[in-house]
Amino acid sequence: MIDQNCQNLDDNELVALSINDSQYFYCLMKRYEEKLANYVRRFTYLVNEDIADVVQESFINAYQHLNDCDCDLKFSSWMYRIVHNQAINFMKKNKQSVKIDVENDDEFVDWLVADTNIEKEIITKHFNNYVKTILEKLKPDYKEVLVLKFFEDKDYSEISDILQKPMGTVATLISRAKIQFKEIYEKENKY
Amino acid sequence: MKKKTNISDKALKLINQQQIKPIPKWEFVAKNWGLWLGFIVSLGLLILGVGVSWFSVVYNIITPYLWLMVAIVFLGVSFLLFEKTKRAYRFSKWLVIVFISIAGLAVGGMLFRAGLASKVDRNLEANVPYYRQIVPMKMMVWNNPSSGYLSGEIISINKSRFEIKDFDGKIWTITGDPLVRGRVEMVVGEEIKLIGTQTGTSSFAVDEVRPWNGMMMQNIMKEN
Repeated sequence: MIDQNCQNLDDNELVALSINDSQYFYCLMKRYEEKLANYVRRFTYLVNEDIADVVQESFINAYQHLNDCDCDLKFSSWMYRIVHNQAINFMKKNKQSVKIDVENDDEFVDWLVADTNIEKEIITKHFNNYVKTILEKLKPDYKEVLVLKFFEDKDYSEISDILQKPMGTVATLISRAKIQFKEIYEKENKY
Repeated sequence: MKKKTNISDKALKLINQQQIKPIPKWEFVAKNWGLWLGFIVSLGLLILGVGVSWFSVVYNIITPYLWLMVAIVFLGVSFLLFEKTKRAYRFSKWLVIVFISIAGLAVGGMLFRAGLASKVDRNLEANVPYYRQIVPMKMMVWNNPSSGYLSGEIISINKSRFEIKDFDGKIWTITGDPLVRGRVEMVVGEEIKLIGTQTGTSSFAVDEVRPWNGMMMQNIMKEN
């Protein structure tokens, strides 16, 4: 019954109702579990079981802190922030590094091609092997912003809220990611 | 690659089994208010530190070390507390440090200009035990010949020696070939500080001579 009611409610309404009834929080969890699991998968080397643990812990943490929900921001930004921090802590505990697991996405390829003098054909053709290995070599900070910008489709303001960095810093990180990509590409140029 | 998850079911089960409840709102409100209150108090102490340090440097009456330390410590504390507030991440860390420093200097400067910094010093002396020991008058520091510090006004000058009257009115005969720092004019009436060794009950061998007032104070006095 609650499940059906949820569909007509937005995130903030569900947050307000969840404080007194965990069933409403279940609706929020259902709404985000897939997205959040995919997000964690894109920037960590964790196996499915660990990803599920990270997301589950994040949900419980979020539920306990519902009254502190920064709902002036988007609920999704607040939730992504919690999951991001949970995943980073999990990786630190297990001495793992940040990865970038991305698909051959048009917007991403266009961004990569612009100002780098690398031909679009090369990027597209070699995306799954060579391009991905270069992306892997980027600094963890760069990988994080690239995943959020191009594969979670977050705008600068949302990335700023998720990573808790000023918007200017987010823009700088994205710009530097491309510079570093170009440097690695030129250093190891095989094509 | 993608696996169908049942994370939400497990999480809800855990929440219900362990009877996990949202933390009450008042705890977050109290924490938030506490943080801002701490920030304001810390900023106030920074301003006080800057104001009294300013006073001590310009008028050269008290030693500035404690108040400079207060200013530096509370600049750091203010920054750390601000960084813990909810929206702090939207501002560059450097911008926050610069803003807090400018606020401290501006309001601290006003405090000094309004004469409140000296009042604070006098009130603390009157009401806080041991305050004057921690923040001694410069006169006290420089009126300690057995430790090598002496100060006073030049009352006579000969070729190889000169005499000064210290701030207790005692006359000292000064010998030596000292290094003269700053804008000291070795003339009768000049107030100076001496570093050296006490050689007798009223004699002192000097290694270094400094002006009694700092350069800033000398400039102010010249302007007036």
